[in-house]
Amino acid sequence: MDPILEQIYATILPSAPYVIAAYALMWGALLVYVIYATVRMKKVESQIAVLQNTLDKATSTKTNSDFAAQTQEVQDESESIKKK
Amino acid sequence: MAQTNKNRRGQMPSRGQTASRGQTALSTADKIAPVILVLGAILSVLGFVLAFTIAPPVNGARVDGIAIIGDQMVGNQMLFSQKIFYFHMPVAITSFLALGVAAFYEIRYLMTKDSDYDLKAHLATEVSLVFVVMVMFSGEMWERFEWGVWWTWDPRLTTYFILMLLVIGYFVLRAAVDDPEKRASYASVFGIITFIDVPICFMITRLVPSSVHPTIFRTDSGLSTEMMIPLMCAMFGMLFISYGLFRWRLRTERAQEELDRMKQTLDE
Amino acid sequence: MARSVQVKTPSTFTEYKILLGKDLRREFRTKEMLTSMGIYSILVLVVYGAALSQSSQGVDVLQMSGGLLWALIVFTSLLGLNRSFEHEKENGCLDGLLLVPMDRSVIFLAKATSNLLFMLVVEVIAVPLYFFFFLTGAPVSDSWPLLVWPLIVGTIGMAGIGTLLSTITVNTRGKDVMLAVLFIPLIFPLLYACVSAATVVLVGGDWQTTYLTSLALAGGYDVIMLLLSWVLYGYVISA
Repeated sequence: MDPILEQIYATILPSAPYVIAAYALMWGALLVYVIYATVRMKKVESQIAVLQNTLDKATSTKTNSDFAAQTQEVQDESESIKKK
Repeated sequence: MAQTNKNRRGQMPSRGQTASRGQTALSTADKIAPVILVLGAILSVLGFVLAFTIAPPVNGARVDGIAIIGDQMVGNQMLFSQKIFYFHMPVAITSFLALGVAAFYEIRYLMTKDSDYDLKAHLATEVSLVFVVMVMFSGEMWERFEWGVWWTWDPRLTTYFILMLLVIGYFVLRAAVDDPEKRASYASVFGIITFIDVPICFMITRLVPSSVHPTIFRTDSGLSTEMMIPLMCAMFGMLFISYGLFRWRLRTERAQEELDRMKQTLDE
Repeated sequence: MARSVQVKTPSTFTEYKILLGKDLRREFRTKEMLTSMGIYSILVLVVYGAALSQSSQGVDVLQMSGGLLWALIVFTSLLGLNRSFEHEKENGCLDGLLLVPMDRSVIFLAKATSNLLFMLVVEVIAVPLYFFFFLTGAPVSDSWPLLVWPLIVGTIGMAGIGTLLSTITVNTRGKDVMLAVLFIPLIFPLLYACVSAATVVLVGGDWQTTYLTSLALAGGYDVIMLLLSWVLYGYVISA
């Protein structure tokens, strides 16, 4: 290879690992956060599902009208969250 | 950039959002947030690709002669490490802006004592911590190659490191207070004080001239169009991603709060 | 209608004097803060003695002396600030104070002043001791008396921010560590400026420009931080 060209490209190869590492670490950090956000979201969703189940059971067994009205209200809310 | 900022403000929901109990319709911000997130991802990938393709390499030290590459005469070393800059700077600006948004919500919280503002401030700080960490990672790699050291107490580095410690301190403080109202007030006050470091960090290279930092600004002074395009893609990509992440987290945490309220109602 | 009862609202300055007097009187009686801070500073000097025992006396120490001095001051102040709200908490003193219809920022000013005074008194003891132990054999520049200004400016800033932060941390879990976690990063710019100002006057040479810039930076930081702490204090103490 031409010695001048060799000089021109001298820093490219040694710096490549650092450039790759920089981008990998950057995207890695972002990915970790996205995973964290997903885990949090899934947790909330599963909690809502559990609550929904208990509510369904409660409304089918209990006949007390007051309680039914109350649970109905709560159920509406949980549905509104689910739609979100 | 000012325009982006304005856009982002425009998308922020007004106070009506707070009383989202039983509210079924999605707010405009929640509707467009996923779109913005995807748009940000696309722009970032585009910026990433363009930074390695159309952006010309930056010239480094002079070499002993001139060679012809393609149809251009080249008399300097080509610096590949500068490619880090295309994302390093946008991510840094995004972290500053996210902290600014957090400070805005913290002031709003102290004015209104509305816990929704505290939640927003908390999440904005969380997002900014992610970006701060990204800046540290990318800056660290660049520094290792260009300056040949893992760490140096350069003014910009130092102030940014301090900023990271302060943001971490914000979360440590939150974790150490149990009463939600106290936690919100303390965290807001601390967050506002923390924000003082942002302008210091931003201005420090102009205030305290350092021997090592001008190397970064050789690309800052005269960026050609081919360099501006990837930089701007990365800039808007990162801003959009941060906004999208913020709204996503906000939706999750609001749902969590509502869930807790519902559980309490059920217990009673 | 004749006024039978005269109610005089004390002026803000009177309130300030009373609050400051309360802290000072308490200190004169117990001497709790000054003894603990003073002994602690001497202990830090002893640690320095071991840490620097392998370096040759003189020039080596002189270059580091500004930094070491400030490390001593920061750690000693941290100890004092940690304790400054402890006794206010103990017998519900703070709650009583908050019942008084007065501006919350007066409490801040009084508390910051008393912290400042304690820190200055400890510095008056610790700095000569530091000179005595480490700098007697060193070629200290003639400009050393100017060390006073960075000390004063730095201590004012640390007392101001420290008062605000110790009010926050006194209500948190693990308060001792918490204060350090919040305090040290926050005063870092101030510390940096003060160390550079202190070092140049001790080492000498061409010190004027660096000294003045550093002092200006430290002063500007003080003003911003004190104003901010003063404004935000009400939110913290009544939370």
